[in-house]
Amino acid sequence: MGRVLLPVLASALLLAGPTQAADAPPGASSCTGCHATTRIADSVIPRIAGRKAADIVTFMREYKSGAWPSSVMGRIAKGFDDQQTDAIAAWFAAQPE
Amino acid sequence: MSTRRTFLKLAAAASLAPSVASAQGAGAGKVVVIGGGFAGATAARTLKALEPRLTVTLVEPSPVYTACPFSNSVLANLREISQQEFRYDGVKRAGVIVAETSATAVDADARTVTLADGNKLAYDRLVMSPGIDFNWAALPGYDEAAAQKMPHAWKAGAQTTLLRNQLQAMDDGGLVVMSVPPNPYRCPPGPYERASLIAYWLAIWKPKSKLLLLDAKDAFSKQRLFQNGWAELYPGRIEWVPLSKGGKVTSVDPATLTFTTEFGSHKAAVGNVIPPQRAGAIAGQAGVADRTGWCPVEPVAFESTLRPGIHVLGDAAIMGGMPKSAFAANAQAKVCAAAIVALLAGAKPQDPILINTCYSLLAADYGISVAGVYRPDKGQLTDVPGAGGVSALDSVGGLRGQEALYAASWFRTITAETFG
Ligand SMILES: Cc1cc2nc3c(=O)[nH]c(=O)nc-3n(C[C@H](O)[C@H](O)[C@H](O)COP(=O)(O)OP(=O)(O)OC[C@H]3O[C@@H](n4cnc5c(N)ncnc54)[C@H](O)[C@@H]3O)c2cc1C
Repeated sequence: MGRVLLPVLASALLLAGPTQAADAPPGASSCTGCHATTRIADSVIPRIAGRKAADIVTFMREYKSGAWPSSVMGRIAKGFDDQQTDAIAAWFAAQPE
Repeated sequence: MSTRRTFLKLAAAASLAPSVASAQGAGAGKVVVIGGGFAGATAARTLKALEPRLTVTLVEPSPVYTACPFSNSVLANLREISQQEFRYDGVKRAGVIVAETSATAVDADARTVTLADGNKLAYDRLVMSPGIDFNWAALPGYDEAAAQKMPHAWKAGAQTTLLRNQLQAMDDGGLVVMSVPPNPYRCPPGPYERASLIAYWLAIWKPKSKLLLLDAKDAFSKQRLFQNGWAELYPGRIEWVPLSKGGKVTSVDPATLTFTTEFGSHKAAVGNVIPPQRAGAIAGQAGVADRTGWCPVEPVAFESTLRPGIHVLGDAAIMGGMPKSAFAANAQAKVCAAAIVALLAGAKPQDPILINTCYSLLAADYGISVAGVYRPDKGQLTDVPGAGGVSALDSVGGLRGQEALYAASWFRTITAETFG
């Protein structure tokens, strides 16, 4: 719905709207310490908002098993079970890119 | 739709005109945040993004925040101190009221905060994120005056510049001495990153100089990675003296730059004292610090176990397995903001999962990391078993260079998320 409105009006409406606090699944809010929510001009760490959930899940699974090499993500992926990973991936997939 | 909306609001908060935000008016409650560091600034911005009807006031005396992460690179002349500085314009743009003064008293029963400018703020929920203060009494000879001779540089800013200037003015061949306090303290791997980067700088500019690292502990964060790196990059330049070999500093003499340990004394050309620490003084006043000097909290909303209605975040809090880091402070703040919004709406906050990742540099292009995943367990934030750990010991495929790049990217991302 926001798409047809002017950006400023859209944000005003969003801010005025009812709050769904804490709707991010457990763990998701920590990810944005490295995976930026805004466009950081100079970051080598990819943004994950708006990526396909299935792709995020694949990366997490392969990092976790060690099949794909990683520096830090393998160590982090091991802290999440499949259900938790699925929820985080679905949440990021639903965010604007 | 709701998930999308919250995220948009987070993103929109930065670009929103203040008039629009204040036009929402009060209604959902009042939150006061004491301290505008990685924890407090993140908490304030996230609260407004999740619930724009909240009145959020951030109390912070300094108009400019000087970040500690990457301040060791300033010592090694790899960065300017100005690259560490952040202002609160982005926090204000998010609709947060910034009170540029300090909090002098908290009344947990009346739910009010008294400010140094004479004002008093009422709150429904209070967030305290005052960071650390030094426990001057714990190290004889060391006080604020002594810190002008033997800088701590453990709160970044003028102290960082002072230590850098002392290093630059030192004669080649002069001995640099650092002292490291017992646990817990801000940034567990920080002293060893500092020793590495000073050694990096010495190797170029003062090649005859060495660094003595006097430690009140027998083990430290990422120890093997650091020690392997020192042997590889700076052979013979850094001498680490652990507790069991007489590393614990029992007093210092700023007049002669002398460190006295249980086993003897060492005279420095440049002396860096990292003093014992405790939660920022206001935490003691508010009654949220316990006898250790730090603040116990429950592991879901980080509410004080000593004073209801007060949430303590970041370095000041006892966060179970989570270290005192900027990454952790920012992660805790986002969880706490969502929990406060839930609590004010009469809902139960969900059990969180938190991540920490701390990078350390051993040289400009040589990075290592430690990571952990945490969740509430038996009243504590606890490491999720099997997760986390440190970088691989054998550096394959340019891993160290890659982690140095990740470190720099992390700093840009987290400061943008924290300060807008
Ligand atoms: C050399 C060094 C290197 C580091 N490197 C890293 C790193 O690479 N990665 C990492 O994650 N972490 C790192 N850290 C740790 C990081 O700096 C801290 O963990 C982080 O700053 C904690 O955030 P905080 O918000 O709890 O406290 P702070 O950032 O200290 O913020 C506290 C704020 O509260 C304000 N305040 C205090 N008292 C009051 C009062 N009474 N009223 C109002 N305001 C008040 C202060 O002015 C300050 O702005 C490093 C630290 C050091 C010293």
